[in-house]
Amino acid sequence: MSSLILTVRESIRYRGRSGQYSWLAHRLSGLAILFFLVIHVWDTANAFFWPQAYVWSLALFKNPLFGLGEIGVMAAVLYHAFNGTRITILDFKPEWWRHQRLSSLITWTLFFLVFIPIAVLMLSAMIGHCSELASAGDSCLRIPAFSEFAQYAR
Amino acid sequence: MAAITEKTSDRMTVRRVQIEGNRERYAWLFMRLSGVAMLVLAVGHMVIQHVLNSSTNLTLQFVAVQWSSWGWKAYDIFLLWMAIPHGIRGLFNILSDYVHNPGLKRTIGILLTLFVVATVIWATIAISLFDSAMIP
Repeated sequence: MSSLILTVRESIRYRGRSGQYSWLAHRLSGLAILFFLVIHVWDTANAFFWPQAYVWSLALFKNPLFGLGEIGVMAAVLYHAFNGTRITILDFKPEWWRHQRLSSLITWTLFFLVFIPIAVLMLSAMIGHCSELASAGDSCLRIPAFSEFAQYAR
Repeated sequence: MAAITEKTSDRMTVRRVQIEGNRERYAWLFMRLSGVAMLVLAVGHMVIQHVLNSSTNLTLQFVAVQWSSWGWKAYDIFLLWMAIPHGIRGLFNILSDYVHNPGLKRTIGILLTLFVVATVIWATIAISLFDSAMIP
């Protein structure tokens, strides 16, 4: 535990620059994806095992709080994918290790170029959904009740 | 621990490192191969499901349309088989940096492996047996 606290503190204080920031971002994005993925897989399995719970969760995930989390997962997946590609290439090409700084810069640039337009699209879908519910007298912030989906009970 | 043998002559020192087994190396290779596969599968999944389609209008009926085709079922099952082991192995790699007790590390490894097996089997059953005709 003390080593964990030490790592968290030194991860922030240590000035390893580009390589260290990539390492940290890769770990954090990986953990974030895994957290989401495990919930997502067990939840989606409910489409078969427990449809009512699945349909309820679909309604819950339309809440903008989850929507923001979804945009975060998108960011994590894109960064992890691009940086993972960089790691894999450098693993097989030791002679390119001197381009550590340049390669992480390319990765970040590529990430922002792809992520920003996608985030705008996802945000506008979220806003569209909320204003649609608002004009119907409902709110996208309302937490759906499990009983609303009784028709899917088995 | 990797065994290192060192032989020093008057001109140079040669060090040989013996790797203890192949499991670590296969795990390393799996991370690279599944990573490359998911560069297409996972990023493709994110773009198709979260950008071209949207969670804001996702329904069980939409899932039923997708999973009425074996192509989509195979895509999702393959992604599942890549993603869960990749993610849990990554978690194990991170934990290995902080857990130094070999017995505890071994226990964590066994528990995480069981979790991977259970999750993959459970979700594979769900995807393959999902019957679109049963959705109202």
